[in-house]
Amino acid sequence: MTRALLTGNGAAAWGARLAEVDYVPAFPITPQTEIIETLAGWYASGAMQGRLTTLESEHSMITAAAAAAATGARVFTATSSQGLLYAMEMMFATPGWRAPFVLVNVSRAVATPITLEPDHTDVLAARDCGFVQIHCANAQELLDSVLIAYRVAEHPGVRVPVLVNQDGFYLSFTREPVELPSMDSVRRFLPAFAPGEVAFRASKPVSQAVAVLGGASYSYFRYELHLAVMQALVAYEEAAQAFAAEFGRRYSAVDTYRCDDAEVVFFMIGSFAAKAGDAVDRLRARGERVGLVRPRLLRPYPADAVREALRGKRAVAVIDQNLSMGFGGVLYAELAAALQGRPAMPMLCSYVGGLGGRDIRVEEFFAMAAESRNAAASGAVPATRLLYSGGELREVRKLQAIAAAERGEAGARP
Amino acid sequence: MFRIRFHGRGGQGMKTAGNILGSAFFGEGFEVQDAPRYGAERRGAPLFSYVRASRTPIQERGVIDNPDLVVVADESLMMLPAAGVMQGVTADTVILINTRDAQGWQARARFPGVVLAVPAIAASPPGGTPPLQSAVCAGAAARLVGVIRRETLAQAVRLELDARGRLMLDQDLRWTLAAYDAMSAHAGCVRERVAERNGVTAAPDWIDVPQDSVRRAAPDIHATASSEQSLTGTWRSFRPVIDPGHCNRCSWICGTLCPDSAIRVDADRTPHIDYDHCKGCLVCVAVCPPHAIRAVAEGKAAACEKIAQ
Amino acid sequence: MSEFVIKSMKDLPSVHLLGAGTAMCAGCGGLQALHEVYDLLGHKTVVVNAAGCMTLLANYPYTPFRGSWLYTSMASAPAGAQGVRDALDILLEKKRLPPEENLTAVVLTGDGSAYGMGLSATSAAIERGLDFIYLCYDNEGYGNTGQQTSAATPHGARTATHAGVAGFGGEKKDLFAIWAAHRPAYVATVIGAEPLDLARKIQHAVSVKGPRLILSLAPCPTGWDYDPMDTVEIGRLAVKTGIWPLKEYRDGKVSHTRVPHPRLPVEDYLVKQGRFAHLFQPVRNDKLIAEIQARVDEYWRDVG
Repeated sequence: MTRALLTGNGAAAWGARLAEVDYVPAFPITPQTEIIETLAGWYASGAMQGRLTTLESEHSMITAAAAAAATGARVFTATSSQGLLYAMEMMFATPGWRAPFVLVNVSRAVATPITLEPDHTDVLAARDCGFVQIHCANAQELLDSVLIAYRVAEHPGVRVPVLVNQDGFYLSFTREPVELPSMDSVRRFLPAFAPGEVAFRASKPVSQAVAVLGGASYSYFRYELHLAVMQALVAYEEAAQAFAAEFGRRYSAVDTYRCDDAEVVFFMIGSFAAKAGDAVDRLRARGERVGLVRPRLLRPYPADAVREALRGKRAVAVIDQNLSMGFGGVLYAELAAALQGRPAMPMLCSYVGGLGGRDIRVEEFFAMAAESRNAAASGAVPATRLLYSGGELREVRKLQAIAAAERGEAGARP
Repeated sequence: MFRIRFHGRGGQGMKTAGNILGSAFFGEGFEVQDAPRYGAERRGAPLFSYVRASRTPIQERGVIDNPDLVVVADESLMMLPAAGVMQGVTADTVILINTRDAQGWQARARFPGVVLAVPAIAASPPGGTPPLQSAVCAGAAARLVGVIRRETLAQAVRLELDARGRLMLDQDLRWTLAAYDAMSAHAGCVRERVAERNGVTAAPDWIDVPQDSVRRAAPDIHATASSEQSLTGTWRSFRPVIDPGHCNRCSWICGTLCPDSAIRVDADRTPHIDYDHCKGCLVCVAVCPPHAIRAVAEGKAAACEKIAQ
Repeated sequence: MSEFVIKSMKDLPSVHLLGAGTAMCAGCGGLQALHEVYDLLGHKTVVVNAAGCMTLLANYPYTPFRGSWLYTSMASAPAGAQGVRDALDILLEKKRLPPEENLTAVVLTGDGSAYGMGLSATSAAIERGLDFIYLCYDNEGYGNTGQQTSAATPHGARTATHAGVAGFGGEKKDLFAIWAAHRPAYVATVIGAEPLDLARKIQHAVSVKGPRLILSLAPCPTGWDYDPMDTVEIGRLAVKTGIWPLKEYRDGKVSHTRVPHPRLPVEDYLVKQGRFAHLFQPVRNDKLIAEIQARVDEYWRDVG
């Protein structure tokens, strides 16, 4: 076991290398490119055995990934943002092929306007498609999650693709220390992919992904896909335990930080949760009983573990780094559904922030904790708050003045 | 409410028949639903359309499983369980078949209710274009329900068949009205039903869907050539018949050019038509060099077979 | 496929591999070409299907195939073939797949995908040198949805989206030339109505590696509005009038495998199809007929 400084992208690539993936269909997009460049280099140097093929789009990339998985190869691929959206038809189509592979998504905010920094609107657009979703907060977790993802994806009762998510820039381009597991220990944890009967072979003809007519057949196959994704709750727990036994790092489906006696908790996913963790430490130093709940698994939704983590809490500040237009935060809606009707349900307060990499500052966490605590005390549910400051609006106004100048002001000048 | 189903084959205009009848009901002030039912099947395959007409807003949707009138444009469908012609019929249902032998079908189907024949409308001039099935079926059906006036029906035909052009339209109109007039003796034999929901229904047999193994739970087919269990021979209205005396054992022209792989050739070069799957395109009839294959109407062919037996 | 060379109709397979009982229309020219091709390619294939009429070839639990099949999407069938081919190659290299289990990747698409939505994926697969056979059944419109105009619709044809008296005013895209410009291993036009020409081309196609296009005109009784019985006659007329040249691209050169002599007037082909009825009724549109003829004449003049 060695320790090295790796970016999130480097950690993702190492995950694929240690999983000894056979095949990487690729298409470049910022901020994912380092992953495929690294893997291409390793295939070229012989450090990895197999092939990287550059497709002409993410739509084709996901098609090739699933087709290769359906043929019996271990497949890894990666994308981000617009790329994930461009692939969306195949994101929905391929889970039904029941061909396991791993996709790392490097979260980046979606157009319009086009931008580079992260939020989770891209990955949450893919939440209903049948991919298992694992959300990571640091580089070590990312590398480890890629290995866990293959165990889950290839589990005979699951056999659906797994998406492992990391935040662009904040994680993808940030170096931090990562323990690289040894090849031997990884092989013990993750045996070679055994496609079993479901693979294209001359001696075993199969027609795959066939059309059906009628709601009864269609519903059956969709229900089965849902049940397979739900089965990933069990497979994930198994894999996480085996991983802890082999490597000593335990990744529960829902991560909790200083929660045991907490009255108010922050609820969020991804690398920005570190900011919440920092706020928790500072509030704790002031004597406030505040904690952090961070689901790692979003699909299947770990409802029992979420309920367990929030049992007895007075208020939850749900911080959504995504925006469902015309509704608000996706995590908030799902959490409300998970808690609905439960006794002593905590007050849920909804915050949308961190869009396009917009920072969430520590004083904002303080304010969210206070507001949530007050809401619980008063019983009045506050409206979703879009995190934004007067200072930010003034900055934007300055930009707008420049943008607006072309016609209006130029015409007004003598 | 009136609930009417039109059964035919792809290409026989059952959607149009439904549209004409729907428009006619609408013209009489009814609330109406009309719709075709699509499947994977193409021209020649059994399909149906349906019409609901009610004096109050319609609280139903989708396929009709309790028809008051079933119109069958192609009598060969009567022998096809898969066509679902008899689906949900009761003794109160009227069945209108495009046949010369309504009583025969009534006996064969052991159906206690009313079975009528679609009136035979002659082409004019004799030998000219045969009457449009959809127009004739819609015209006859319109009379049976007893609430559609002749002029309302004519207006519906003008509306629905306008795209066929002036000359065709005049002809279509004559055929529709001729069928309407021919059914005068049976006007109103299809009765309007009042809503009959009594609130007592069996509980659904809900289950917890079991999780199956991947091999079963994916929409994959491990069987090969299982399509042969799909008997597309039912699509046919004419069948190709090989005259072995004229067949010159060419070398698989018919077998190769049959789009559906439905002609097998023996080692001695004798071709055999697979009537379970032949869709009746008659490409083989067209391409056979010595003209050894002829087209025989299905009804006739079936009768010949019976005699032979 | 055996080594012997197909010389005459007598050498064509008399046993058909593709199962009967599919949902394709009676008289489908695309199915005709597919079964002729499949009889020769054999079951050691994965047919990677794009959205089109033939999406419904397999309809659970019924499949006509004796080999394998994978349905993908309208745009990405070549990428599906890429994934299958790459995986097979890797597994062969790593000795995780016995050579006898190897398969040939075959893309099956209609013109809607081949000429339009799938063209980017196709171009990229050719440029990557993907070892696959690409079979396009070209019925010159989005047939599965009711024959709307596609990038393969010919000048003057009436479609569901160009139903006026002039029909479609644009031009049919030249997919053969687009493929040939990529300098692939092989490009050929075929038609089910000429099975011997088709069989020879398939024989050559399987003898080489790399990207190979088999582009079949697919007379379509439903979309072109004619009696299903006439599928072969219309196919033969397409060749005899020169509107569908039978040709191939090999080793950087295009050659015609059938040069019609004498070339029949294109009108003979048009008049048999309802989609061109507006050229003849209610009044004859001499100008448009002449335009279509001129295009065909121009083509053959360039052939020399």
